[in-house]
Amino acid sequence: MEPWVRFSAQSQARERLLRAAQYGCALAGAALQRNGASAEVVARVRQLEAHLSLGRKLLRLGGSADALEAAKRAIHLSDAVLRFCLTLSHLNRAMYLACDNVLWAGKAGLAPAVDQEKWSQRSFRYYLFALIVNLSRDAYEIRALMEREAGGQRAKGTEAGRQQQQRRRPEAGLQQLGLRLQLELRLLLRVLRGNPPLLLDVLKNACDLFIPLDKLGLYRSSPAFVGLCGLASSVLSILTILHPWLKLKP
Amino acid sequence: AAMERFVDFTDRSQGRERLLRATQYTCMLLSYVIERKADKEELVLKLKQLEASMSSGRKMFRLGNTVHALVAARRTTQLPDVVPRVCLTASNLTRALYFVCDTVLWLKSVGLQPDIDAPKWRNWATKCYYFSLLMNLARDWYEVSWRLEHAVQKEKIKENSSWDKRNQELNCLKCDGLHVFFLLLFQILKNHPPLVLDMVKNLLEVWLPFVYRILSSCKKLHYEFLSGDLLDTK
Repeated sequence: MEPWVRFSAQSQARERLLRAAQYGCALAGAALQRNGASAEVVARVRQLEAHLSLGRKLLRLGGSADALEAAKRAIHLSDAVLRFCLTLSHLNRAMYLACDNVLWAGKAGLAPAVDQEKWSQRSFRYYLFALIVNLSRDAYEIRALMEREAGGQRAKGTEAGRQQQQRRRPEAGLQQLGLRLQLELRLLLRVLRGNPPLLLDVLKNACDLFIPLDKLGLYRSSPAFVGLCGLASSVLSILTILHPWLKLKP
Repeated sequence: AAMERFVDFTDRSQGRERLLRATQYTCMLLSYVIERKADKEELVLKLKQLEASMSSGRKMFRLGNTVHALVAARRTTQLPDVVPRVCLTASNLTRALYFVCDTVLWLKSVGLQPDIDAPKWRNWATKCYYFSLLMNLARDWYEVSWRLEHAVQKEKIKENSSWDKRNQELNCLKCDGLHVFFLLLFQILKNHPPLVLDMVKNLLEVWLPFVYRILSSCKKLHYEFLSGDLLDTK
């Protein structure tokens, strides 16, 4: 029980648990509906999901300050690409949280004149952009690591290096391309396997991506799939809290 | 720097929950103050809605605090002194029971278990909460009283071992019992700010609901008197 106390003493940890519960409810609701459960049960699950969502919005009040602080810190990074990506990502997250606060004010009855649909779309746009910037940062890191790995292999003169030397001979297109892709893929998998924090971050951002894509209508998927993606990304995020070494730094 | 402090605070354990609690009670206070004033009904309604949503949000955030209270209870059974050990363990155990009642009430408010007898569980929750507060106050009282006893004994020793006769005369002047008592009490409280804060917080929590209820019934009587109901002059 001691690990639980330490874990949930951080408010972010509880927020992640509630997020996992929220998307779990979404998944459960969709699954129950598909399997023909009674309308009352589905309604109860949906109601619980709505409560969890509203409660999470309440807990996120003031999160914009958090994101702006993180953006201020990110400006001092040494690497130019990382500096750009992280600052932009945090700024977008701050905007997303600000729109989220407006939505909460509307839902809680403080500002009934708020156009829920418009602000919801706005918030998801900022969220989507933040996720895209995060994924570009991940791609940049992967690229850098792959180049370092490939360079290392060339120096050691492994089979891959020899194959690269072979490539210098003029050869026919498709087979060559296929081989090259296979090599790149193996290199990618090797890099990801050697960097669990990076792998976790890529998976988390990829899962999260489907949520705003669905809500903005850019890539409609089933509610069950959205719930599953949300649940998966929340679980991955909880893992990074439980094991801080799994968090991608900076 | 102010933002950094805010971020630090809300990131720490329970920081955000305390902020929501403060906001909730501010809303309660504000809605009490401006209630029944002309053309402020909409504002009062909004304040009440805000208070309700803060309350339900906090209940959700508190899910799982039962485990916190049980772990704290296990920790306090290791305390060396008997009185703090008993008081704090009892306080933590009743706090765990309070959180169980709180969870049950949350299940009802969310619609998962609509056939829960809310007044009964709320009654139990209030009883558990008050009992744990009283146990905390008992322990505060014990801490202050043994420190006071020590300080009084030290003063007596100083008095007895003073050589200067004139000092003794002066000391006898200072020897006025109540005066010395309050001076020592003030010194103890000054040297132990956490104890003072804990005591003040517990006292407020015990008395504030009573004060609130007394004030609102006074206000009700006041308005009824003004409108003539009380004197039945209509």
